[in-house]
Amino acid sequence: MAEAEVEVRNPSGLHARPAAFFVRASAAFTSEVLVANLTRDATRTASAKSVLGVMGLAVSRGDRIRIAAEGTDADEAVARLSELVRSGLGEAIDGA
Amino acid sequence: MSAELRGAPAAPGVAIAPPWVYHAVAADGSSRLPLPDAARLAADEVVGIAARLREKGREAEAEIFDAQALMAEDPALHDATAALMANGTDAAAAVIQAGEAVAAAFEEIGDEILAARGADVRDVTARIARIVTGDAIPRLERRSVVVAADLPPSITVELDRELLVGIALEGGSRTSHAAILARALGIPAVVGVVGLGEAAASAAELAVDGDAGIVHLDPDAETLARLAVVAETARARAGHDAELASTDLATADGHRVTCAANVGEPADAVAAFAAGAEAIGLFRTEFAFAGRATAPDEAAQAAAYAEVLGASAGAEVVFRLADIGGDKPIPYLPLEPEANPFLGIRAIRLHDRHPELLPTQLRAILRASADAGRRASIMAAMVADEHDLDLVLRLVADARAAVPAAPAPRMGVMIEIPSAVLLADRLAPRVDFMSIGTNDLTQYLLAADRSNAALAARQDPLHPAVLRAVGRVVEAAAPTSCGVAVCGEMAADPAGALLLVGLGVDELSMEPRSFGAVKRAVGARTLPDLVALAVRAQLMPAAADVRRAVGDAS
Repeated sequence: MAEAEVEVRNPSGLHARPAAFFVRASAAFTSEVLVANLTRDATRTASAKSVLGVMGLAVSRGDRIRIAAEGTDADEAVARLSELVRSGLGEAIDGA
Repeated sequence: MSAELRGAPAAPGVAIAPPWVYHAVAADGSSRLPLPDAARLAADEVVGIAARLREKGREAEAEIFDAQALMAEDPALHDATAALMANGTDAAAAVIQAGEAVAAAFEEIGDEILAARGADVRDVTARIARIVTGDAIPRLERRSVVVAADLPPSITVELDRELLVGIALEGGSRTSHAAILARALGIPAVVGVVGLGEAAASAAELAVDGDAGIVHLDPDAETLARLAVVAETARARAGHDAELASTDLATADGHRVTCAANVGEPADAVAAFAAGAEAIGLFRTEFAFAGRATAPDEAAQAAAYAEVLGASAGAEVVFRLADIGGDKPIPYLPLEPEANPFLGIRAIRLHDRHPELLPTQLRAILRASADAGRRASIMAAMVADEHDLDLVLRLVADARAAVPAAPAPRMGVMIEIPSAVLLADRLAPRVDFMSIGTNDLTQYLLAADRSNAALAARQDPLHPAVLRAVGRVVEAAAPTSCGVAVCGEMAADPAGALLLVGLGVDELSMEPRSFGAVKRAVGARTLPDLVALAVRAQLMPAAADVRRAVGDAS
């Protein structure tokens, strides 16, 4: 089990394109990866491999999310995904 | 000589290409494909759409489809669908319900961007449902003659026009939507070709002769040479018609009738005016709704309508309010299947279920009218009586209150339901114009399904009952200032046009490619001559007699 908390800085949060980017990256890992939007409702989690689940967390700019993984490549998954979120998921963000 | 199959000519011209066979949905909606396969096909289709949009530089739209591709194979969606199926829901209904639940959840969160994504979920689940039931949106890989039992308009508009060179249908009739579209797009077409599906399956190449109504299977050199001559003649005729563009549509003794165009897209309106249209008698706005993933919003619609008004140079443009439903389904407006869609929830009858559709469209038309500084004409389809008209006029009044800058629109109703013919004297004083949709009017009056090829002979608008109906509408309008137009296929058929002019119709609206033939036919006769012909025709036993009489007289 590995986990990390990270702030989403994308202008429109984790909607559409950044969400798709995040989900595609998550799908590369065999571990189960869960995401929660700590700013909105920390008790609701979604699979990081479900674009509908991730979008349903309604992550807006400035929200903090928790990425948790369970499985053989859990550490790698959390490290890689939180780094991707910090660097803007393929979008230009402030301070990146 | 190579083998040939005979059908009915539906759109002129010659097309030679390999066949591409389209299989329609199973009538019982039964599942044919396992859900994961259907989802993968849906994702593939959506990826293809994104790639095509990207090629055209439409990056923002392409991204929407990128997200849809992921949604199609989303594990959460599949789990929800599987759970519904375990409770006995069939696959197509289950995936739509699962998508609906996700979309509703998105909308509940109160985040505008997320709520808009709900439409994408609905769109992609509708696509999966279509594929599950076998009704895939097809993609052409090369220049093809499309072969099908019948071709729904939603499919026709999705086919790549560069690659769709000809259409050959086992079913259908001259007035089925695929035939109308084929004529509008200039694609040679033959309909009602019995045995076509089986024969085409083993043919490497088909030649569609849309003038003669013949499909040649693997045409030999001699046939190809003959068809080349036919194609050349058709081109020469088209050139001659172009010379008639600036001529009036008038009888030999100078009785003028407005020569108007039926168009489906803004670009076609520009072409129509170039071909000599004096007005757009029918702008089929539903084509702005088809072939897209989500409902066009007010601004997008207004932009499309403004383009048409901009091309009009002040000429009248009749926007027909979306005639959706029936045989023209729209992916993002889920409607339950109906046993008799032509007698079902379509056009203004959709208002109860989708109360935003008409108000949005009306505001968009008025906004375009205000922006262009031109008066728009608005026509409602499927008006059965004065209560239907009340609804339309109320919605127009609301839209005008929302867009006060727009000039007052000219208001009209389409006359296609027999009740509207019988009540035309009640409708005429309350509108600026009535436009008779003879395709639907004929099928409703004669109880002959337009999409049933076996009844093709019963769908002839030259039937004396249809002529009497037109005459009755003209009579009802006579004491008022209400104009009478005809926007069905009858107006494009020279024989039909002669009778309509004789019956006293003010405007004939048709595909621009028919202008030449109609102007030539009408220009060769005098008004008294055509009035006498129309009177006689109304007393004949059936359509075949009328056709013979008009043929003999011309």
